[in-house]
Amino acid sequence: MKKLNIALLLAVLAAGVYLSALPAGEMQSLQGRFLSVLAPFLRTGNAVQEKLGSVGQELKTLDELDAENRKLSDQNRVLLATNNLLREIEAENNRLRTAIGYRERSVFNLLPARIISRDASTWWNTVRINRGFEDGVETDQPVLTEIGLVGKTTTVTKSESIVVLVTDETCRVAAKVEGTREQGILSGKRIQESGTPGELHLNFLTKNAVLEPGQKVYTAGVGRGVFPSGILVGSVREFRTRPLDGQAAVDPAVDLSGTEDVFVVVGAK
Amino acid sequence: MKAATGLAAACAGVFLALLLQQALPAVHVLHGARFVFVPLIFCMAAMALPFPLMLAAALFTGFLCDLMYLHVVGGRVEIALGCSIVFFVIYGSVANGLRPGYLQGHWWPLIPLAGGGTAAYLLMQFVMISLRRDGFEFDAALVWRVLAPGCIASVFAPILYAAVKPFASMLPQGFATERRY
Repeated sequence: MKKLNIALLLAVLAAGVYLSALPAGEMQSLQGRFLSVLAPFLRTGNAVQEKLGSVGQELKTLDELDAENRKLSDQNRVLLATNNLLREIEAENNRLRTAIGYRERSVFNLLPARIISRDASTWWNTVRINRGFEDGVETDQPVLTEIGLVGKTTTVTKSESIVVLVTDETCRVAAKVEGTREQGILSGKRIQESGTPGELHLNFLTKNAVLEPGQKVYTAGVGRGVFPSGILVGSVREFRTRPLDGQAAVDPAVDLSGTEDVFVVVGAK
Repeated sequence: MKAATGLAAACAGVFLALLLQQALPAVHVLHGARFVFVPLIFCMAAMALPFPLMLAAALFTGFLCDLMYLHVVGGRVEIALGCSIVFFVIYGSVANGLRPGYLQGHWWPLIPLAGGGTAAYLLMQFVMISLRRDGFEFDAALVWRVLAPGCIASVFAPILYAAVKPFASMLPQGFATERRY
């Protein structure tokens, strides 16, 4: 082998080692810039994929659209009224909590977002949403739907963000089981079977916990964690004891394979 | 000039393959295995290009792959930037060793090499993830997700070769033109 080739080989390997030694923040920043450049291409690809997939579906007449529009407008009015009522109750609740010396509950802003692509890699359960730091999204912000928890943001670019789903093994959530004092750490399986809603494991429960199938699991909001308390994550399917603790298999509340619209919790008001 | 054209073509091919595999959905029948075309394109380039240009292509390919699939949660990096560069340098060196035969028209090693390289790349990712997490976990889906993309790459290798062959005259030394030494 020529000396020049050996020198070049060593130089390229050195570049690889140097890059691997960069701090996580810098790597994320590099990835963010790269994905920002790539965003138009990826969006086009996904739009084409979506268009091809929806040919012949969802075609509606003007009358049907008009009826749907009226129904949605009515529903919107009802929801606005309910929301206003709940806000008043929330304010009253916070006043009472303050009066008895409890910490005031945080109130969060929900930023609507749309999933623009999903599961682009073999090993990680992620989706990409159409909101980035321009919209106020930051790293490690919870993402949810009206039904329950979806995941949290990881890499945030100018106009898009990557969301690691709750079914991913790296997305760990402190969770509690409804109607019990049981708390544990919830995470996904390393390899989720494709085309299924996924499976979650709630670990570190007490061995003699009495859990029934169907019991709801909510975020515990322990300490300064990412997830506020009280968000539905799923429901218990079965409970098993292990040598040191108890483990519950949990079905996710949100169908993560079919969800299109989500909300990012962008911070306290 | 021909060498530069070859490298540019390889880089453009890798970039397009990355976009394509990003847009294609997972195959449910194959337990969630995905189409992974980047190692196939890189393998072909590594067999056609001279060693220094193969290294440049490895640098480009590895950097792009790592940026695309970097997974950071809670400040913890699963597969650091640069790991794929090392993989593609090793993979490219093996492929480049078969270059003399490839230039004489013996293109068939591309089939096992592309399949093996694709599977090895995915396996490397899984091993690195497992080392970062709580150890190894085996599942039937793991075998599918590693081997199926490799098989798909092997199937696509002759098709890609046939598609690229007409453009061979634009590449360095007119690769795959059955040139005899």
